[in-house]
Amino acid sequence: MWYAACQSGLYSSADGGMSWHDAYATLQMSQRLTIASVAVSPAYAHDQTLFAGALGGVLRSTDRSRTWSVAELPSPPPFVVSILASPNYPQDGLVFAATLEDGVFRSWDRGASWASWNFGLLDLNVFCLVASPDFASDDTLYAGVESGVFRSTNGGRAWRETAFPMELGPVLSLSISPDDSADHTLCAGTETNGVYRSTDGGESWTPAGLQEKGAGIDHLFHWQRSPTVVVMLAVTHAGVYASGDAGRSWRDLHAIDVGSDTEITAATLDVQGVDAALLVGMSDGGVKRLPLLVDPM
Amino acid sequence: MAPTSSRRLVFQPNSYLSLQSGAHQIIDAIAPTLGPLPRITAIDRILDERPPEQLDSGGMIAKRVIQIRNRDADVGAMFVRDFLWELEEQEGDGTATAAVLFRAVFDEGVRHVAAGLNARRLHAHLETGMRLILSDLTDMAQPLKGRDAITGMARTVCYDAALSDLLGEIFDIIGEFGRLEVRKGEGRGLHREYVEGLYWDKGVFSREMITGSPAVRVELENPAILISDLKIATPEQLLPVLACAVQNDMRRLFIVARDLSDGALAFLLANNRDRDKLQIVAVRAPGYGAEEQAWALTDLVALCGGRAFVQGAGDSLRTINPDHFGHARRAWAGFHSFGIIGGRGDPRALRRHISDMRSAYDNTTALVPRGKFQQRLGKLLGGSATLRIGAATGSELEARMELAERTANVIRGALREGILPGGGIALLHCRPALLQLAKSAAEVEERAAYTILAHALAAPARTIAANAGFDASDVLAEIRQSQNGAGFDVLRGETVDMVAAGIVDSAGVTKAAVYAAISSAALALTIDVLVHRPQQSGHAEPRSPGHRKQL
Repeated sequence: MWYAACQSGLYSSADGGMSWHDAYATLQMSQRLTIASVAVSPAYAHDQTLFAGALGGVLRSTDRSRTWSVAELPSPPPFVVSILASPNYPQDGLVFAATLEDGVFRSWDRGASWASWNFGLLDLNVFCLVASPDFASDDTLYAGVESGVFRSTNGGRAWRETAFPMELGPVLSLSISPDDSADHTLCAGTETNGVYRSTDGGESWTPAGLQEKGAGIDHLFHWQRSPTVVVMLAVTHAGVYASGDAGRSWRDLHAIDVGSDTEITAATLDVQGVDAALLVGMSDGGVKRLPLLVDPM
Repeated sequence: MAPTSSRRLVFQPNSYLSLQSGAHQIIDAIAPTLGPLPRITAIDRILDERPPEQLDSGGMIAKRVIQIRNRDADVGAMFVRDFLWELEEQEGDGTATAAVLFRAVFDEGVRHVAAGLNARRLHAHLETGMRLILSDLTDMAQPLKGRDAITGMARTVCYDAALSDLLGEIFDIIGEFGRLEVRKGEGRGLHREYVEGLYWDKGVFSREMITGSPAVRVELENPAILISDLKIATPEQLLPVLACAVQNDMRRLFIVARDLSDGALAFLLANNRDRDKLQIVAVRAPGYGAEEQAWALTDLVALCGGRAFVQGAGDSLRTINPDHFGHARRAWAGFHSFGIIGGRGDPRALRRHISDMRSAYDNTTALVPRGKFQQRLGKLLGGSATLRIGAATGSELEARMELAERTANVIRGALREGILPGGGIALLHCRPALLQLAKSAAEVEERAAYTILAHALAAPARTIAANAGFDASDVLAEIRQSQNGAGFDVLRGETVDMVAAGIVDSAGVTKAAVYAAISSAALALTIDVLVHRPQQSGHAEPRSPGHRKQL
């Protein structure tokens, strides 16, 4: 199943994007609700759970979007721009919602109720969240905000500044290496300053490429191409870049026609065994599947 | 003793004997409180007929000993009381460790001086040895991280499992500067709650601004905030504010001012009637005194943006424009307090402001300003915690609240300066270096100083073992044979890795105890003559330390 969050609502596709359907039709809303974010449970195949973020609330479905429940967030209505289900969601039931002006909301009961947990989060303009692959043991997650990156080591109940230089923010995207316990690599994509990398939990940062592009790094992914090769993917509004050497060099994978009016507005990694692709949403409402090349990088 | 009209002098060796006698009396009352299996000291009350106070805190015991009968010994007792009191005020813990360390250093020192060593030279070398110990402890310190570690730290201070658990959770969330209020609760249990945003203890100017609300407070969403400490005497002063707000579609107005005249207040209330058009809440400027109010305004501006209108600077509201207002996601006000949630000032400016305050905190040793910085930082960090304590009786409640405050202070210090293996083990680890130095020492006083310190550093571990009913020598022998970092857990009766077992001490407290004990003992060794004034009725409280030593 694919899910696409749009200004006009939430859509689902069961045939690889060939056709799309209104995913929250059963809510029978009189007005279309802008959905800014969507996330599925890491155990989706089993629990069929997904979440969608909107202005003022979070929608939850536990039956592949057939039916929905709505959890309202406290007024004034926060705008949920990113949702993250804990990597350990089946056990801990934790879900996090990043909002534009109200910090991070946390649910401990699988999205039924929510509360803001912003202790130490000195910047409430949150654009993205990422959790440690070892979240079950280290309770660590990171928030990309207007002025940099914050870290929580207690499952999102409190936040501390990292040493990400404030002048390099906003941070639009974050990604953690799948082998974080070994290489401790966290990458941050900024609005105008390229990609930065930290290998010490955010205590220090070094440039990791694409500084010269000047374009916002809207999405970052670490793709485990093989047991020994991790490829970083950076998505801007105009293209996709890949690095196989931890950001020392980047290749232009897919450039969008600069003459067109369309831009990439959303992206997610789709890995099916050896076949990997980026699903990207376009500003004209289209969804494209961009294969990731297999040749060495 | 009959009053005397002339001074009386006590010379050596009686001056040493007197100091020791008095010091021993007070330390013998405190030493049994060291460790997780302390003994209780009962202190008779002077002012009423209630049963004796039962205390297991060295600091509290020290404070209760006002005077002992023998005036010569009283000098020794008060000398010890003085430095223990100062330690208690500064750190909230460590007094029993300091007491037994002092006794060990001073008693050994007296023996050496009696054998012919020079007291002044011995004093200088003891101070040198102390600095080496402090340096070793600093190198040994590890950061305190995570809820379990903080809970373990708390348990070594208060020995109250339920309290430790809650304090561990609280400080894992609010951090070293976070705001924690300890209050009386209902029933006998412990409860905690977390409050979002920051708040001050000043409320609305008029209850009419709250009337109609279901709760005892009013809340505004996305208000424009006028930040000032102005005394607004006339409605005309407020006209530009309301005009600017209305012209710029600011429908929720939150006014912070030092004072509003009846006329100005009436003007605001009149304009508050149609709350769909314009809703106004006015609260008193936070802080007591000009300096505190100035800081509060600075913090509000850092959080919400805009600018502060300051009475003392001659600021006027005549030239107000939309950029002068601060903003927040929510502001609330009740009869006695008001708060801000989600300030919408520049986050970079706020972070720099907080960073500057942290630097100022680190760079000042004066206790009062440090306390103020801590309060301000705690407010700005975005939330606070309240710990409500219940108990069966009033005195139990008082004791438990005091214990919670004290433990909280120790936790803060440990979060800032780190932790050491507990049970006196960290001090034992400092011994080998001192013994090595003693071997190569040139002067006899130097050799003696390092040897005295090396032996004295075992005193806390010995006392803990003895208080728990173990043979201290056997325990020390077992520790010597174990791995580095291993110590003796008196509760389980076995050697363990102390840090892994959660048996830790605050590095700041341990260092302060070492400093207090050794510097005081070294000084006491240089006392040659006691001079008694004519009879006096009692001793005054020691002055507050005023400054925190940078160790």
